[in-house]
Formats: sequence, structure tokens, C-alpha cells
Amino acid sequence: MMDRKIVISDPTLRDGNHAVRHSLRVDQIAAYCKAADSAGVAIVEVGHGNGLGASSLQLGESATPDHLALTTARANLTQSKLGIHVIPGFATIERDLKPALERGVDVVRVASHCTEADICERHISFSRSMGVEVWGCLMMSHMISPALLLEQARKMESYGAEGVVFMDSSGHYIPEDVRHRVEALVDGLSIAVGFHAHNNLGLAIANSMAAADAGATLLDGCARGFGAGAGNAQLEVLVAVLERLGYSTGIDLYKILDAADLAEQALMKEIPVIRSVSVVSGMAGVFSGFMKPVTRIAEEFKIDPRDVFFELGRRKIVAGQEDIILEVAKELAQRAAKGCQ
Amino acid sequence: MKTECQKRIRQDCLRVLSGREKALDELRQSKLAVIGGTGFVGTWIAEMIAALNDEYQFGIKLSLLSRSPDQFANRLPHLANRKDINLIKADVRQLGQLPSDVEWLIHAAANPDIRTHASNPLDTASVIVEGTMSVMRTAERLGRLKKLLYLSSGLVCGSQPASVNGVAEDAQGAPAPDASFIYPNAKRFAETICSAARAQSRIPVLVARPFSFIGPYQALDTPWAQTTFLSDALHGHHIRVMGDGQVVRSYLYGSDAAYWFLRMLVAGESGDVVNVGSPVGITLQDLAKEVATNFDPSPEIMFNTAPRSAGRSAQLLPDTAHALNEYGLSVFTPLDEAITLTVQWHRMMQSNQARN
Repeated sequence: MMDRKIVISDPTLRDGNHAVRHSLRVDQIAAYCKAADSAGVAIVEVGHGNGLGASSLQLGESATPDHLALTTARANLTQSKLGIHVIPGFATIERDLKPALERGVDVVRVASHCTEADICERHISFSRSMGVEVWGCLMMSHMISPALLLEQARKMESYGAEGVVFMDSSGHYIPEDVRHRVEALVDGLSIAVGFHAHNNLGLAIANSMAAADAGATLLDGCARGFGAGAGNAQLEVLVAVLERLGYSTGIDLYKILDAADLAEQALMKEIPVIRSVSVVSGMAGVFSGFMKPVTRIAEEFKIDPRDVFFELGRRKIVAGQEDIILEVAKELAQRAAKGCQ
Repeated sequence: MKTECQKRIRQDCLRVLSGREKALDELRQSKLAVIGGTGFVGTWIAEMIAALNDEYQFGIKLSLLSRSPDQFANRLPHLANRKDINLIKADVRQLGQLPSDVEWLIHAAANPDIRTHASNPLDTASVIVEGTMSVMRTAERLGRLKKLLYLSSGLVCGSQPASVNGVAEDAQGAPAPDASFIYPNAKRFAETICSAARAQSRIPVLVARPFSFIGPYQALDTPWAQTTFLSDALHGHHIRVMGDGQVVRSYLYGSDAAYWFLRMLVAGESGDVVNVGSPVGITLQDLAKEVATNFDPSPEIMFNTAPRSAGRSAQLLPDTAHALNEYGLSVFTPLDEAITLTVQWHRMMQSNQARN
């Protein structure tokens, strides 16, 4: 039996915010933080779906502003660390990061698109200099090879990151993909390697297990999989499977099952399921967070959202390029109209 | 009037020079230039020259060439305002401003910050490779040049094999040829340029391979283990160690390093290659503990969750037998003392800043 520790980071109150259009309230944040804290979750991540400072008309306004969400979480976490997701550009150091650290954030996860680690230098260095734990996150990681992913991860390591998490933002991976990337990162870095799964192809848990087996020591999981698109690795299942395999997470199984029940009742309008469009977005390699806007815009233009996803995937569209959805939908609608004539 | 910080640095220099200054006699009444002269190494060499001139009447004229002499002058006016130190604004790739009567030349121009290497690998390579070409071309025109010391890197031989206690100068390894190792690869090629300049133009050049240093003037915002631990502790944070803490490194104090470089400059044979560093290894876990002993209350030491890859070497130490046997160089400031001196200096700087 192996004796390996896995640090679980729980972005239910951050990635889950995507699923409810960033509408999580103070009472919901407080209740879930209490439950996760009691279960022994190592890190509880809180905030807008796109992270600190991302509340906007374009990306969706948070019902609970950052400062209130963080203060609430801090007040309800005694043993769990408080984490935030930070995308440079959305979050600036002076306006967002400094005040967040003053409110007691313990772990800063600085994220960029998988090819753009350079933009994280100042945010990682600043956070490190303030004495908090800093991880780098590489989003949409399926878009580059393991070797290129390692190059980007090494940049984050050089800036001072203490761990690098690669994210399957579109739920595109199969376990083999994950294994190759973890092996490359573990072999080439001196810092911890982590994985953040999405469940578009029903493989979030299997992919997380492949990551752990290949040497990852940081795994993300959300209660009931509450997250963008088809959801994330389902936290309570993740904990149970890790326990069966002999990994130690420090999490109490019954209490995390209770926390998941609470999350289902208190946070979710609907439990994430793998809808047809999610399967397509996973196949196409398109950001899970695009599901709602794609579905809405496709309906508006009376076209098949699956076609939109495949076209977005062909164009290698990433988060932040939501405007392209409209352009693609318009083109597909025009093409369909010409076909009818 | 000297500040406490300046007095402390002078004491560090005199402690190293005491009884050893005669070994530098060839430098008396000569002209020395340091290209890339306002970094950690250049600053310590300037302090050492100032001590030799003030306390032993060496009469050395020192030129420090740098892209940012103004910052140096603002930071260290006690050096910048000296009559025997001349600050010159210059890029290593364009050395028209280098005085033509220089007799001793140290080429230390390169940015050792791994963040810059990661974000700007091409610029990193350009400064090192084109810069060294430029230095060699310039050296061809220096009629009075006695010796040129090139500061390379202890990383040019790649990782340390598990079978040896330290990396010797003739080790056969090399860093992997990818962007992550642009700095040691560029330094390695720069050593080849030095060799070519010696072969083609008879430039009297030798190579120093620095390993890790510690001491005042080392910026605390650089992501190296020693600076990070010091920064954590000085700011009242926990000391956080990357990985399991079993990685082994060694550290040479700033004044020791400055003496080593000057001694090599005057005593070295053209073509020689010499490791510069401490052969006394310490695990990062013990380094963190050593830093922590200088604080009350002692900061907590934390480890992150990265298991060390089984195939990766955990140790990088210089084999310094050549430096000892040929130059009589050894560690003058033991690591525990070096850490204490560094902590005390930073505390003095912090209180100076608080007063201002």
C-alpha cells in the first residue's frame, strides 16, 4: 500500500460560481466553508468563476463582491486554508491582490492560458514576497504538448511558484494525456504538480487518479462536481477513491459527504450533468465555461450549438474570446441560410 | 561619516584581507575595470578595492561599467562618490567607453535572475554571448591589459553526478539544450569564446565558475533558497522550503568571493578555469534552520508537497581543490557566521529605511 499524501484544493465556491452565473451569496459561502472546514479540506477556494477582480458586465457580475466573499470565508475557515484564483489582467496587484491578502488569503493560485505563463511573473513574485503560498495554474493545457507545458511551468517555478496545477479547462483529456503531462512536469520541476479536471467526457475522476498515480500531489475537486460546464472532479468521490487506493488526504469521508449534500441543497440550482453540448465541448477542446453563452447564442441564431463548439475548437478559441461565439454563430447561420436557398 | 552598514562591510573586507593583502600586491597603482560592475559581485569587488586603497594604500583606480550606474550611485553613494571609483554607463555589447589604459579586466556582465532567464531567454543569451564577443574584441585593443577574468557559472557542467562529492572544473557534463537552461548554455558558449580569443588573439583570459553566494547586497526578492529564507524570516513570515528540504547546496560569503576573484585575477594563468564557491554542503532544510536561529521568536519552517524526482540530483557543490592548491583559496567566513552577518546587515538596512 502506498503512503502518499494528496493536497485537496476545493474550488466549489469559485468554479461553482460559473454554474450559477456568479450568484453565490454570503450565507451560502459561510455554510459551505464551515462544512468543508469541518471535513478537513486543505484549501477552500472562493470567488468569481474567473477569479479575483473578474466581476464585470462582460464576464458576469458577482452577487457577492470579492471583499465580502473573502471576509466571510475567512471567518468560517479555522483549519482549511483560504485560496483565491488570480488571472493577471482581471486581478491587479494594487486594486485586488493586496486587499485580498490583507483579508487573510493563505494560498494564491495565479493562472494564465497555457502558453502565457510570462504574464504571471509579477503576481507570483508579489504574492511570494508577502509570505503567502503561491501556485501557478496553466489553463486549457490540452492545447500544448507535455514538453511545451513543462517550459511554461518552469517559468512559473522560476518566478517563485511553489506548485504548478495544469487545468483541463475543456474536459478534453483521457487518462493517458494526463499521465504524460504529469510525468513530464514531475521529472522537470522541483515543485509540486497538480491537476484540475473537468468532466465533459465523464473522466474527471479517472483523469485525477492518473495524475496521482503519475506523481501529482495536488488535486482539485468540487462538491457534486459543482463547476463550469459538465462540472469538475466530484470532490466526495475523489476523496473516497483516493482513500480506497491508499492515498491520504486528511479529509473525513463522512463529513465531506455531508458537505456535498449541503452544497447540493444550499448552492446548486441543478447538479452538473454531462449534457450533449458538454460532450461536444470536451471533444472540441473548448473551455467548459462557454457552455451557457454558446447554448444561448445558438438558440438565438437557431443553429446547432454542437456545430458552434466544433467550429470554436477548430479556431482554438480560449476564455476571454467570448465575442467570437457571436461571430461563429452568425457565420454558421448565414451558411445554413445559403444552404437552404 | 560611515553608516553602521558601511562599517560592517568594511570589517568584512578587512577580516578577509588581513594577512592576505600581500597576495594582491600586483594590483598596486594599477587600473582595474569591472564590466557588469554594479551587481552583487561588482559591488563587493568595489568594497574590497576601497578597503585596499584606504587601509593598505594600494592606489588602485577602479572603473565600474554598468547599464544602470545612476541606480548604483543612488543606492551606494559612499562608493559612487569616491575619487578612485569611476562609474561608466555602458552596455556590455557596446564598450566604446571602456578606458584604453586598463590593465586588469573582470567581465561579470550577466543577469543571474532566473525569472529573467525564463521570461527573456533570447535577451539573456544575447547579453552573455554577444557581450562576451564584445569584451574579447575590445580586449584586443587594450595594449596594457595584463589579465582578463571571465565570470562564467557553476552550472555549465550540468547537474552533479551522484558518484562525486563536488563538480570539478574538468567535469564532462552539460546542461540540456533547451530554453530552460539558456543561462548555463550561454555561459558555456561564452567560455568557448574566451578560449577562441585566447587562441586567435592571445587574450590573457581565465575563467571563474561561481556557484552560490550569500551576503549583503544580494537582493531579497530573487527566488533563490537563501534569499527566500532570509526574506521570509526578515518579514516575519514562516520560512517555506520548496520540496522535501534534502537538496544540498553551498554558499560563499560576498567578501570571500571578492577576494577569490581578485586573487585569481593576479595569480591566474591564462587558460585556467577555477570553481568559486564553498565545498561545504548544507541541505536546504538545515539552511532554513540556520537562518531561523538568528530570529527570536524563531520562524516556523514549512515544506511544500513536492516529492523529489528519483532521477534528479539533489546536490550541486563545487570541487574547490584547484582553488585551494593553486591559489590558496578557501572559505574564510563559515556559513553560520555568513548568515548571521547577512541578517544583521539587512536588519540595519531595515532600521535605516524606517528612520528615513
